[in-house]
Amino acid sequence: MKIAVCVKQVATRDWPLRVDDQEKWVRDSDASFEMNEPDAYALEEALRLKEKHDCEVVVCSAGPTRVSQVIREGLARGADRGIHVESDDLKTADTFVVANALADSIRTERFDLVLTGLQSEDQGFGQTGVVLAELLGMTHATIIMEVQVSGGQVRVKRELENGWFQWVSLPTPALLTIQSGINQLRYATLKGIMASKKKELRKISMTTLAQSRHRILNLYVPEKGKKLKLVKGTPPEAAKELIRVLREEARVF
Amino acid sequence: MLVVGGGPAGLSAALRLALRQKLEGEEQLSIAVLEKSREHGAHMLSGAVLDPSSLNELIPDWKQRGAPLETEVLSDHVYFLTKNRKFPFPITPPPLKNHGNYVISLNRFVKWLGEQVELEGVDVFNGFAGSELLFEDDRVVGVRTGDKGIGRDGQQKKTFEPGVDIYAKVTILADGVRGNLTKTLIRRCSLDEGCLPQVYAIGIKELWEVPQGRLAPGSVIHTMGYPLKFEEFGGGFIYALPEGRVAVGFVAGLEYRDPMFDPHIAFQKFKQHSFVSKLLADGQMIRYGAKALPEGGWHAVPRCYADGALIVGDAAGLLNSLRLKGIHLAMRSGLHAADVAFEAIRSGDFSVNQLHRYASLIMSGGIRKELYPVRNVHQSFARGLVAGLLYSGLALITRGWWIRDPMPTHAGHERVESVKKYYKRRESGPVAEEVKIDRALTFDKITNVHYSGTRHSEDQPSHLLVHDLDICRTRCLEEYQNPCIRFCPANVYEIIDATDGSGGKQLQVNSSNCVHCKTCDIMDPYQIIDWVPPEGGGGPHYEGM
Amino acid sequence: MNLVLAEQHDGILNRVSWEVISVAQQIDGPVKVLVAGQDVGSVAEELAQADVDEVIIIDDADLEPYTSDGHVQALAQAITSEKPEVVLFSHTYQARDFAPKLAARFDRALIADCIGAKSSNGTTVFVRPMFQGKFVADVVSEGSSPHFASFQIGVYRADEVKRVTTNVPIRTLNIKIDSTVIRQRPEPPFKEAKQAVDLTQAERIIAVGRGIKGEEHLALAQKLAKAFNAELAASRPICDAGWLPMDRQVGSSGQTVAPKLYLALGISGAIQHLIGMKGSHTIVAINKDADAPIFEVADYGIVGDLFEVVPELISALGNKVETR
Repeated sequence: MKIAVCVKQVATRDWPLRVDDQEKWVRDSDASFEMNEPDAYALEEALRLKEKHDCEVVVCSAGPTRVSQVIREGLARGADRGIHVESDDLKTADTFVVANALADSIRTERFDLVLTGLQSEDQGFGQTGVVLAELLGMTHATIIMEVQVSGGQVRVKRELENGWFQWVSLPTPALLTIQSGINQLRYATLKGIMASKKKELRKISMTTLAQSRHRILNLYVPEKGKKLKLVKGTPPEAAKELIRVLREEARVF
Repeated sequence: MLVVGGGPAGLSAALRLALRQKLEGEEQLSIAVLEKSREHGAHMLSGAVLDPSSLNELIPDWKQRGAPLETEVLSDHVYFLTKNRKFPFPITPPPLKNHGNYVISLNRFVKWLGEQVELEGVDVFNGFAGSELLFEDDRVVGVRTGDKGIGRDGQQKKTFEPGVDIYAKVTILADGVRGNLTKTLIRRCSLDEGCLPQVYAIGIKELWEVPQGRLAPGSVIHTMGYPLKFEEFGGGFIYALPEGRVAVGFVAGLEYRDPMFDPHIAFQKFKQHSFVSKLLADGQMIRYGAKALPEGGWHAVPRCYADGALIVGDAAGLLNSLRLKGIHLAMRSGLHAADVAFEAIRSGDFSVNQLHRYASLIMSGGIRKELYPVRNVHQSFARGLVAGLLYSGLALITRGWWIRDPMPTHAGHERVESVKKYYKRRESGPVAEEVKIDRALTFDKITNVHYSGTRHSEDQPSHLLVHDLDICRTRCLEEYQNPCIRFCPANVYEIIDATDGSGGKQLQVNSSNCVHCKTCDIMDPYQIIDWVPPEGGGGPHYEGM
Repeated sequence: MNLVLAEQHDGILNRVSWEVISVAQQIDGPVKVLVAGQDVGSVAEELAQADVDEVIIIDDADLEPYTSDGHVQALAQAITSEKPEVVLFSHTYQARDFAPKLAARFDRALIADCIGAKSSNGTTVFVRPMFQGKFVADVVSEGSSPHFASFQIGVYRADEVKRVTTNVPIRTLNIKIDSTVIRQRPEPPFKEAKQAVDLTQAERIIAVGRGIKGEEHLALAQKLAKAFNAELAASRPICDAGWLPMDRQVGSSGQTVAPKLYLALGISGAIQHLIGMKGSHTIVAINKDADAPIFEVADYGIVGDLFEVVPELISALGNKVETR
């Protein structure tokens, strides 16, 4: 069975980022980068499937030169091969462009399963996986907690709202977006790192990309906008007043 | 050959060995570097002004290879500050003249150097800390890496990966200032017998972006005086990089007497001085960090070789405290260590019989030439600013001569006086200094730590081993008023009300804030704090520093 | 025309659909609402109380139970026939499952998790958080209509929907579903106690910091949380001390949350904590120190002793508690 895991390289969580001069993106030339955490869980799930079944796990990423770092990490953790869909313009690309770049690059491989994380920690559209499924003509399921493979089928546990869950069966080829936190991420071992240097990392240079479907007009720091309203008075007075404003003004309950 | 530490010393050693192997070697050598940080250069912090002499030797075509030596030093100024004024030194003291040197970001430099090392096929393992030396009798035969996947409760998690024993014919210890492996080796083989105790300083630094044109790139400024007292060693620095980036920082000797001294507060006061605040006006602080520096000089450098091991860089204490430069010495020591290791591998003898030649190279190869004449500088400052300046001036002429040589000194933590003693002869009582924090020019430690990019996996045991927590709430509280809460630049240590309802106090260790500066290991008055590497990959991320 | 795709389960309307109708009513253009499923007549009746042009029903046995294949197929036909400018959803788990595919079928991408929408020069500009709420972006969808957008739950208010006294017309849209195209086979949903607390799903959060002083005082915060029907969370030091488990930690080494209400008790507001909760809709801070940074992000604040204020809050909300 061939499994592709699509991972994204994002600016490190909670890195102090600043908006760039054009106010359309962030200044990431001085940022630290890492594998998007939800994608790390997708990779871990793929590696667990590899332990249980006879699979080849291919870690794929679309982005500028620097994303090879996360592909190497994937290889060090146990993936068999890597695919780097490379273009500098992918740095700020939207879901549609990225999904198209990935689809064009992996279509011929005919993967049985494609796993992605739920969403990226930078743009957070949460749809690259689903769009990829559409482009590849695959069926899909999202927010997956567990994966069972047998024959040409997968049976997956979907998370629904409010503590509800549902098992769904799908035929392969299928794309799954994996929920975060469903397993514990393994470390890359020294052996793994050394082995990864001998593994194939194929670079596919994208000279033309699909047309963007989104345009960011501007990116800015959200002004709280609201001035702080200090609620004064003795504790009983302040308490009553606070409840009143929360009920009537803010309407939080 | 195994190198522990991916800083300038360690990477220079690895690169040199790989290059010599390529040119002269017969069989394939396996060379590996262990580096605890996640990425090349992530734990690297320095001012910094680089003397390129060692780089010229290691990689003569560094310019074509894109080494990030962005800015040649344009101008050098030294000022003496009082609370409200500044007085320029009439001439820049020759050792502080920086003609031909470069203002660099050490983080970017080491990142580039790491790439050069990997290009030569050397395995650099980022995210792996050296936790123990492996011995056979008293011979170093390798290093054990740290365990990964141990929970806060000390139990193995499902993802547990045990540390790996890596065996090497020669182990080069480049684990930095107060390196934990070097510490063990020195103790075990008594390498510091006959040497002065090592003394240190703490360097606290911020990277700022100020309006372009304010400071010409290549401007190098050093200050002395305010806010330090005459008895305290240290001073400020301001180095200008391109595109409005400014490195501003403060170095304070870690042998101050006043137990209430807080180097972070001193740094804030330095920034509040009108000279500095004008330079930083309308700017933005974008990165913060701190690291200790080895300041003991020549007489505090231990014996740097043992059976199977060599010590390089800051771990060996090779820093010129008068010129305020150590990177080129670290690199040079790395080159020497690599040359010696290469010969040792060729000869098949990895004992001190071969490795002692490292000491000879240090003597003959330029390191001694530079460090010997300034060998008592830091110790002279221990006697006060005036004494230090006088001696340093004298040392320039006499090449380091002094009546008592070596000038006696004590380890820094021994010099801190108790609250009672220090404040007996003063009018004011022991009050921790405070500065009004505005979070625009001055910052509190917690906010600062956020800008150091420091992250550790939360679910792991504390890597700051405090061996006797009782002392904190009894003796230390009384004698020194818990200086750890002040000398740590990252708010790792806090004294809070005891949670057992006893009404007393207790120590809280926020180990996740640790920026790996080593100050606590150095300065705690009872020497009960042991810094060991946390789970590999954790720590600060000094992007651009 | 802007088309709201309402969500229903087993013939019960998901209330969040009202929020989306509220958005649609605030941007330019007439509004229609569509609900798809099996036997959704009563849902349509309910929706017909909104001040919109009409409610459209798609009723087909193949749409129950929900599958993404079935929904995409049905709704794609509806969009082709109705030709809306913008298609709007609530950012529910279900919408996240099929809406991106639906948009992709029309060669568009979904602008997801929006917190605002405004009409400007004939286009709709969508406002959405990025980088985990640290920034906000104004985004437009490129190309001709249809455009697709989903809205964060709770940003718009269901009670702000303009309603009518007589129901608007309801029309059934006939579409053909090829059931062979539906590849998913779902089993019946079931409920399960979640292993860890998921603060990101909580609507209201009461968070405690150092100011709570001792583990024994957590009970007070817990009572307040119960009175507010809120989840209990904490800043770093509380979890470090082991008074609350790590999955209740909010901040840079814990969860990032954006609930309707975030009430911070005795939290100073260190930046590491703020980045985990700054995006909350309404932030209330109770702290003794008027200079605490938490007040810089709060909408409402009480400078005072939480041990005096909190019992008063609890009793004002209708539960008795012993004051200290």
